[in-house]
Amino acid sequence: MGLLQFPLKELHKELGASFGEFAGWEAPMVYRSTVKEHLAVRENAAVFDVSHMGRLLIRGPDAYEFLQKMVPKELGKVKELSMSGPTALLNERAGFKDDVMLYRFSDEEWLMVCNAVNREKVKAWLAQWRGRLGMRVEILDRTFDLAMLALQGPRSAEYMERLGAQADVLDLKMLQFHPQAEVAGEKTFLVSRSGWTGEDGFEIIAEPEAAGRIFKRLVELGVEPAGLAARDTIRLEVGFVLYGHDIDEETNPLEARYWVFTPGKTGYVGYEALREAMRKGVKRVRLALKMKKKERGIPREGHKLYIDDVEIGRVTSGNYSPVLKRGIGMVYVDAGHALVGLEVEVEIRGKRYRAKLDDFPLLKR
Amino acid sequence: MSEIRVGDYIVLTDRRYTENDEWAKKENGVVRVGITDYAQKKLKDVVGVELPEVGAEVGAGEPVAAVESIKSAADIYAPVSGKVVEVNEKLYDQPELVNEDPYGEGWFFAIEASNPEEYEKLLTPEQYAEKIKED
Repeated sequence: MGLLQFPLKELHKELGASFGEFAGWEAPMVYRSTVKEHLAVRENAAVFDVSHMGRLLIRGPDAYEFLQKMVPKELGKVKELSMSGPTALLNERAGFKDDVMLYRFSDEEWLMVCNAVNREKVKAWLAQWRGRLGMRVEILDRTFDLAMLALQGPRSAEYMERLGAQADVLDLKMLQFHPQAEVAGEKTFLVSRSGWTGEDGFEIIAEPEAAGRIFKRLVELGVEPAGLAARDTIRLEVGFVLYGHDIDEETNPLEARYWVFTPGKTGYVGYEALREAMRKGVKRVRLALKMKKKERGIPREGHKLYIDDVEIGRVTSGNYSPVLKRGIGMVYVDAGHALVGLEVEVEIRGKRYRAKLDDFPLLKR
Repeated sequence: MSEIRVGDYIVLTDRRYTENDEWAKKENGVVRVGITDYAQKKLKDVVGVELPEVGAEVGAGEPVAAVESIKSAADIYAPVSGKVVEVNEKLYDQPELVNEDPYGEGWFFAIEASNPEEYEKLLTPEQYAEKIKED
């Protein structure tokens, strides 16, 4: 099967991107250097094309009630023109169907941004539950007629201003959004103050032509174009999970320590199983792994953690941290060994390297 | 120093090459080894290396070192058999030298070759240029 194409592919080519496969898409992975792109996010600003992310419009008279049933976060607390923060779709065993972000336009109209890899699965899941519950909602896949950009970094607001974003876009607080905002003379679908980097930033959803002009303009202003490789090293430093690697249908939010649910909320899909998991406790726990200083190994998915001959856990994501200048990882460790500060060994290509269990975010400010 | 250009990639004519994108260069009785311009451009962002022990006996085709980039980790194979007589410890602190100067400062190790014929069997610059052209 052919790979899905980014609508701004030609622009990325012009900017010198190398492409690679990600979740069924041929995605811009890196332009000049992942390390430079990464550091731009931390120190200045970078722009990512994240058009592969699924964008599902969910609307109809029962939209609020339907979504309340589908996600473990209390949506009554999400104000209009605000985002829910990370939440999830759980299966009946409380495993992750996906982790998603919800944008509330009104009770009757919401946008769900889901992982590219899960888009079709999420649509089928939502449609199945709509039928079971008899809800009056329609689910519109806007992934292919809209593009999505993420401007991320401490100087993002400054670049938005120089881009000529209307004033109330600059006044957005974290997790607020502005529908049909004007940016650089372009009409957008929405602009939100959000991102997946642990930095300040804005995400822009717009028609591909407008998004392309905004992307180009940002690069002309000195914003670093950044690929999905940098997006991966960036999210790792702050501990954001990647579906299919760090969470999946067999992982529940407790062991992932991924607080996608509102305590006290009941009645959503997966609630009973999650409650049961809470009563029983978990067998494994997600933590951070940090290589000891001067240890040269780089942990990667699948590497095992040991104390002597005892395997205590496994790496689910790992790479080099350009800020910490050493290997870091996301790991699942047996509950009895889930001790922040514990020194462990990682086996990397047959050799043992010293590392420490730590907690996210690994970048402390 | 003359070179062959294949697209963005440089192949130097003063040395030999392997199928695994290492280069090997004869100098003062030893064979110095590194990875090619093509290899470093494919790997991008080199962030770490593993080097063999000085004194280690290695056989041609054995994995003896490794290079870590953001993208992936790759083994580096000994192009010829012999004893490791030098390693480029500078790479431990400055792995980016592999990207900046793959044929010079970014070398990995040097081997005192025990079987000189092995060197002659390595790819010539022309053969290696042909190989990466097909990629």
